Amino acid sequence: MRLFVAGLRKLVRRPASYVSVGLLAGLLSLILIAVGATAKQTAERPNGAAALLLVTFPQAYTLILSFILGLGGLIAVIYGAAVAGSEWNWGTLKAAVARGESRSRYALLTFASVALLIGVGLVLAFLVGTLMAVVGASLAGISTSGLSNSDALGRLPDQFGRSWIAVVEEGALGFTVATLARSQLAGIGAGIALYFGEQFASIFLPDIVKYLPFNAATAVVENAGTGGGGIIQRLEPGLALWVVLAWLFGSLFVAALFTERADISG
Amino acid sequence: MTATATTAGSSGLAVATRALHKRYGPRVALAGLDLSVPNGVVYGFLGPNGAGKTTTMRLLTGLIHADSGTIELLGRPFGQGDRRRLFEVGALIEAPAFYPFLSGRENLRALAATGAPTPWSRVDELLEVVGLTERARDRVSTYSLGMKQRLGIAAALLSDPKLLLLDEPANGLDPAGIVAMRDTLRNLASAGKTVFVSSHILGEVRQLADIVGIIAQGRLVREGPIEELLTSRGRVRVRVKQDEVGAALARLEGGGFRAVQGSTSDDGWLSVAVEGDRASEINRSLAQAGIYASALTAETDLESVFLELTGATPTGDGQRSFGSAGATTVAGQTSGQDPQ
Repeated sequence: MRLFVAGLRKLVRRPASYVSVGLLAGLLSLILIAVGATAKQTAERPNGAAALLLVTFPQAYTLILSFILGLGGLIAVIYGAAVAGSEWNWGTLKAAVARGESRSRYALLTFASVALLIGVGLVLAFLVGTLMAVVGASLAGISTSGLSNSDALGRLPDQFGRSWIAVVEEGALGFTVATLARSQLAGIGAGIALYFGEQFASIFLPDIVKYLPFNAATAVVENAGTGGGGIIQRLEPGLALWVVLAWLFGSLFVAALFTERADISG
Repeated sequence: MTATATTAGSSGLAVATRALHKRYGPRVALAGLDLSVPNGVVYGFLGPNGAGKTTTMRLLTGLIHADSGTIELLGRPFGQGDRRRLFEVGALIEAPAFYPFLSGRENLRALAATGAPTPWSRVDELLEVVGLTERARDRVSTYSLGMKQRLGIAAALLSDPKLLLLDEPANGLDPAGIVAMRDTLRNLASAGKTVFVSSHILGEVRQLADIVGIIAQGRLVREGPIEELLTSRGRVRVRVKQDEVGAALARLEGGGFRAVQGSTSDDGWLSVAVEGDRASEINRSLAQAGIYASALTAETDLESVFLELTGATPTGDGQRSFGSAGATTVAGQTSGQDPQ
């Protein structure tokens, strides 16, 4: 427990934690305000009505979550890689192991604190997003009466839980890649390459790619895909959740096993 | 690490390694290292770059695993499943490792959450010991190299260890810091703790260590009390006129002495590998050849002992070889490595 709490303390003080949430919430705010402020022009464009759903409640709830799943997933990959890679780069893993700490326990509890921080980050980004959607709706002159839609609010905890698991899985992939690379920079680079590589591969291998970690993650929430114009086939949300859990535990197992067996130098 | 069997006869030792081997691909880092570090001493671990010092430190802290051989820490076998043995060991391996965005105090608290249970009160106590109380709230990224080193020593002392493993602890410390560190380490040894110090600063080791181990090419080439080591390897320095250097070298070589010319900037200094009490013989031999020494000093120098044992000796032209197998100029001629 003390290791987990210490891990949380470290992450709370880490500038990357604020930058990650700030980036996600900032971009989300920018888009929502822009949609609200340009509502008239937006409505006249083809598919403009669909864009205005971003500031129309209750649909805005799911769309904000979908945005978080998309961009938040990429940020989570980078954040997970930064945390794991820095343990190797800064030698802090070495210091802990030299004190007799269990390697795998250290790696897993470090990730557990990352997972909790990701949850906090999602809540903050969602709250900021909802607030900005309300502001956008006001700018666009759209009613916010759907804000208290009981059906949408009732679905939120489930959607939120699924989103959290999905983003945590993406963070775990970054964490594992950086662990295998034993490097912050290499982990971040490889994590980003995997993320975009998977999107690119979906053009050629849609049947396979839908089972891959990032595509499965975006499929865990119903209607929360990040687009793709029908090119990307998505798993059914229930199956997607199992696939995401398999990737999550699989990648953590690899990270723990590697940490346990690796020579720690530098 | 195959440290399953207890090594017989190693009781009373804080660290004992037997036939320790470690390879990095084709490169042999350790080729059968046998270390015996008694309890309650300061042990100076010396060796040239790449000799295997850091590999040894990493093995002793479980950071890497040996290909073969055994390790005992504090009288008990230390293998891959024995990480709790490190609860009684404090270590500073290579550069001190900290989170740059946390303060010194927060870093020590984060580290205290790993390994042996350590109360937070110990953190403030150690910050006081290493003189960082006033800067304890500042981010480590703002610390100087010396301050980071002091914090690293505090980190190594967190669990009040019985065995302290320090890799180049004087790195970056100012003279006052070095003196304070030396006093701290000597006090720890006086209190019955064992301090294992790897260093390349020979003068520092001479002042600090009770016992010295010298490693070269992955093997221990000498181990024993420092005074014993120094008295067994004497050196006499003789100063003659610059234009008589060649003749003096030839005379000494003819008399069975092994003499080396100092660097050109030394202006006539010769170094003769011989016990200090034979300085008069050297003087007599030179005088009989009509060469009169203007100065003559008998020394026991850890540096020359180190260079001789590890094969990294001055080249005679004022340039020092950084490799472990340097050539030696003996009586003005270049020869191979001195056989031991």
